[in-house]
Amino acid sequence: MNTSKPLHLRTSRDDHRIAALAALAIAIHLIEAALPSPIPGVKPGLANVITLVVLFMYGWRDAAWVSLLRVFAGSLLVGSFLTPTFVLSLAGACSSLAILGLAWHMNPLLQRLGLKQGLGPVGLSVLGACAHMTGQIITARLLIIPHDGLFHLLPLLITAAVLFGIVSGIITQLILIQLRPNQ
Amino acid sequence: MRKPSPLAIILIICLITGLISACSRSDNRTEKLHQSQLLALGTLIDISLWDVEDTLASQAIHDIDTRLHELHHDWHSWQAGRLHDINTALAQGQAIELDDVELALLQQAQQLAAQSQQLFNPAIGRLISLWGFHSDNPEGPPPEAHAIQKLLTQQPRMSDLIFSNHTLRSNNNTVQLDVGAFAKGYAIDQAIAILQNQGINNAIVNAGGDLRAIGRHGQRPWRIGIRHPQQAGIIAALEIQGNESVFTSGNYERFYQYKGQRYHHIIDPRSGYPGSNTLSVTVIHANAATADAAATALLIAGPQHWRDIARQMGIDQAMLIDQQLTVYMTPAMAQRVQLKQNLKSIIEET
Amino acid sequence: MNKTSIVTRADIIIISIAILILPWLYLHFWGDGSQGEIARIQVANQTPRLIPLHRSQRYPIDGPLGTSIIEVQNGRIRFIESPCRNKLCIHSGWLQRDAEFAACLPNLISITIAGRNPRFDSINF
Repeated sequence: MNTSKPLHLRTSRDDHRIAALAALAIAIHLIEAALPSPIPGVKPGLANVITLVVLFMYGWRDAAWVSLLRVFAGSLLVGSFLTPTFVLSLAGACSSLAILGLAWHMNPLLQRLGLKQGLGPVGLSVLGACAHMTGQIITARLLIIPHDGLFHLLPLLITAAVLFGIVSGIITQLILIQLRPNQ
Repeated sequence: MRKPSPLAIILIICLITGLISACSRSDNRTEKLHQSQLLALGTLIDISLWDVEDTLASQAIHDIDTRLHELHHDWHSWQAGRLHDINTALAQGQAIELDDVELALLQQAQQLAAQSQQLFNPAIGRLISLWGFHSDNPEGPPPEAHAIQKLLTQQPRMSDLIFSNHTLRSNNNTVQLDVGAFAKGYAIDQAIAILQNQGINNAIVNAGGDLRAIGRHGQRPWRIGIRHPQQAGIIAALEIQGNESVFTSGNYERFYQYKGQRYHHIIDPRSGYPGSNTLSVTVIHANAATADAAATALLIAGPQHWRDIARQMGIDQAMLIDQQLTVYMTPAMAQRVQLKQNLKSIIEET
Repeated sequence: MNKTSIVTRADIIIISIAILILPWLYLHFWGDGSQGEIARIQVANQTPRLIPLHRSQRYPIDGPLGTSIIEVQNGRIRFIESPCRNKLCIHSGWLQRDAEFAACLPNLISITIAGRNPRFDSINF
């Protein structure tokens, strides 16, 4: 009888760590999804802390994986897969990742310009949060509410993004200091 | 540094495309909109042209101005002009030669009259005159009942007109033509034709509030607001594109007060008195002349019978507002139009 | 090497830029109260005249029939006198929001409120 050999996936400790962090991100996402928000679309975005931690520890690629995993798995679990909520979530995540990628790769340039440490978690978090919010509003305008009145919310949402961005950034940096004591 | 992954590149491209398209949306704005005003047909004409070069725009508008003045003169309800000559001939039982344009206009009017069960009746010029509306400043007193009755018994109708080749005669010499109820629509159709002949395909011609639009406002449809019949605000909003006219007839447009009573200019040919139950009617239709005639006919028909008349005239998008500010709409109209105020509305099936 | 700080210099720059952009966002999307809106007065086929609504004032406007008087007060505008017979223009009352419209057709004068982003391309009445 012909039985194919079972496939052995070799996983490293880093893979385990990323998987654990992704699971944590999804968990945080679910908890936030259950919270009511005064303004639609505004969540504290604490799951982004995980994304940022992965970014600093494992690089952009892995951060992208964790972030997208969070969006897909989160929406499947909440039951909003392929709904407008999902589209918005995805749009926000992609915008955020794109800006984070850009900024991350600009760090060497910034350091050469004299900004010794480049952009830290707080700066990146603020950029990411603003990009996330902007991406969501533009997507909502194009696909869901074809009405310019939507932009009326922009100032409030960006203010929230900046505030929560700073908070997430600080939390990220505190976590990183714990996880990487030599840096 | 690792090579940027394909994922990164795709995300960046999406982001940049998104930003660019969001920014370039604002280009489709008023720089390309050419707006001008004319004085014609006794009212303000507002012409909006999209993305038309200045000299062409000026030329087209000049041509429209000329044409509208010709039409106003030729078809004036009471002043000397072509219509006056035609009416004189008809009153004397004589035949009169018509040119192509005149023939087309009157035949269209005859057809619309038939479709509206003669509620749209341009043959009741004498009745309109009797009520004093053949004047720039109509005023009372209203006519005596017996004078109205006398005219009614003669039953002047568009069906009394007989066309053979280019000759017109009437077998009822009380027919006096007054095309005021659809002349504006007819004129707007002519203006649009002039624009189209000059290659302009995106425009709005608005004559004293009644309008026809062709094409679109750049990348989006034209946005039209319908004014509340009694207040300054907007009662409904809709988007139009392609080729559509929006016409509103109201009992507040031309009227006079006499001893506390208000008498308006839309006379019901059946009773000889101004139609009473309706405040305004708004019609959407491709052809402006038809929309104009229909708005008049439906106003006379009133909340009871407007649906029947609309169906016969081939109108499926119409809205009627009665004296209590109840809004009646056809289903097609209800889908097109966004009511902006909290008014009681009734959607009537065919 | 120094102790790791929570925020880097670049971070502070980013945050400062973000904070500076915020007031602009509010101004742009929430409107500037002092500028207010404008009314577009159209007489016959002359060039439209733009009147700001933040200054309370009365304007006499000459049309073919005579002089109509328009009043601006508290960001609103209305016809207050007109030589026409039916005074429909006056009965239209105060105009305030974008696209609100009143006209004295016999005197060939119309008032339209022109907001920053006009809601409508044309008004049917």
